[in-house]
Amino acid sequence: MSLSFMIFLYVFLIATALVISAINDILSAVITLSVFGILLATAFAILQAPDVALTQAVINSGIVTALFLVAFSQTEKPECYSEEEEE
Amino acid sequence: MILLSYATAIIIFCIGLYTIMVRRNLFKTVLGLALMESAVLLIIVSSGYIPGGVPPIAPFSGQAVNPLPHAFTLTAIVIGASDIALALAFIVKLHRHYRTVDLDRIRGLRG
Amino acid sequence: MSIRPFIFRIAALILCVSLGLMLFRGIAALPVPEKVIGPAGHYLARTAGETGARNVVGAILFDYRAFDTLGESTVIFTAVCGIAMLFSRRKFHRSSRGLSFIAKRGIGIMVPFLLMYASVIILFGHLSPGGGFQGGTIFATVTVLLCVVYGSSFESQYFPPRTKDILESGGALLFSGIGLIGLAAGTGFLSNIAAGFPAGTFGSFLSAGSVPILNVAVGMKVGAGLSTIFYSMIKMLDAENDHIEGGRPR
Repeated sequence: MSLSFMIFLYVFLIATALVISAINDILSAVITLSVFGILLATAFAILQAPDVALTQAVINSGIVTALFLVAFSQTEKPECYSEEEEE
Repeated sequence: MILLSYATAIIIFCIGLYTIMVRRNLFKTVLGLALMESAVLLIIVSSGYIPGGVPPIAPFSGQAVNPLPHAFTLTAIVIGASDIALALAFIVKLHRHYRTVDLDRIRGLRG
Repeated sequence: MSIRPFIFRIAALILCVSLGLMLFRGIAALPVPEKVIGPAGHYLARTAGETGARNVVGAILFDYRAFDTLGESTVIFTAVCGIAMLFSRRKFHRSSRGLSFIAKRGIGIMVPFLLMYASVIILFGHLSPGGGFQGGTIFATVTVLLCVVYGSSFESQYFPPRTKDILESGGALLFSGIGLIGLAAGTGFLSNIAAGFPAGTFGSFLSAGSVPILNVAVGMKVGAGLSTIFYSMIKMLDAENDHIEGGRPR
């Protein structure tokens, strides 16, 4: 792979990380984390690591994003816990 | 090329660390943790790269790259996903108890 | 007091930048190797002969360093136990309706192919890139898809939590059982060819001794574990939906 393609990929990776850190809306940040995971999987594939690329793509963009979205939608509910008992 | 990977990974690590230190929303803390873990994985995998290498699948058609960092990284990815899941479960429980995910307000309510 | 957060941010920025510079000076001093030496060189040269597997990373994870994989399975089990304990108190008998009819029919056609893809990645883990972790995670992704598209009560009908429990524990027991076979043969815990597992012909499906069986065990464990994590967190969402619409979960 040519050096200019690697530079482009890494600059895109850093830009995605900056977007995750700076943006205020949590939903956009989680979707951008999914994009970051796919770019990182591409970087692993270019570094001749096919097992690691497969694992990173599936786990980061599949399971971790799904868990983030479920947790985020749990914390958006209106607060009506008055008659539910806690432990 | 390996130096370029190291520099990128260190920049992403520092961005993740800054996110954990400065942001108030608890979800941002977990996102910063995910960034830091991904940066460390990039350092590990690119430390085993040999210029002009082929993937470590026998039979090799050249000089294969170092397969030990790949084994560490596989384990580290799965463990990272597990601890992010646990952190998110804690955030949901905190929201139930304090009705907010803002760290300043949680600390203020406790004091 | 509005200047204090600003000073805090500047201090954090200076700390991160200086940490990055110091890290780069340390890491850039590592030498770039021309060829692989040490234990990794031994693994590259001897894997085909000693284990019969083509995938060197799979052979390292399930033959040379199989004990670390057992420890990592324990970490997943601990995380699943923790999350299931945090969300354990609700039982519900209704669920969301799922997505529209088009989505349900379309996903219904795709799911068998996804399951076959996951099985191929697990079973051919010793011949090509892949293995237990990747295939198990794809199984968990299929259950996540069913939860989202059809509703979580549909998914808990077809993959009840009891079955996932049995699969996860079965995977751990299978892994330890294979290790104990090696111990009973006199060669040590989790040994592969020396304990009598057949090596087979190089490159065929039935080869590499106990590596395919360990792949299946880890696939069961990881898939059932991640699926249980997702189900524990999403069943609360549906219970809350019922609560807000006016129905009380029984």
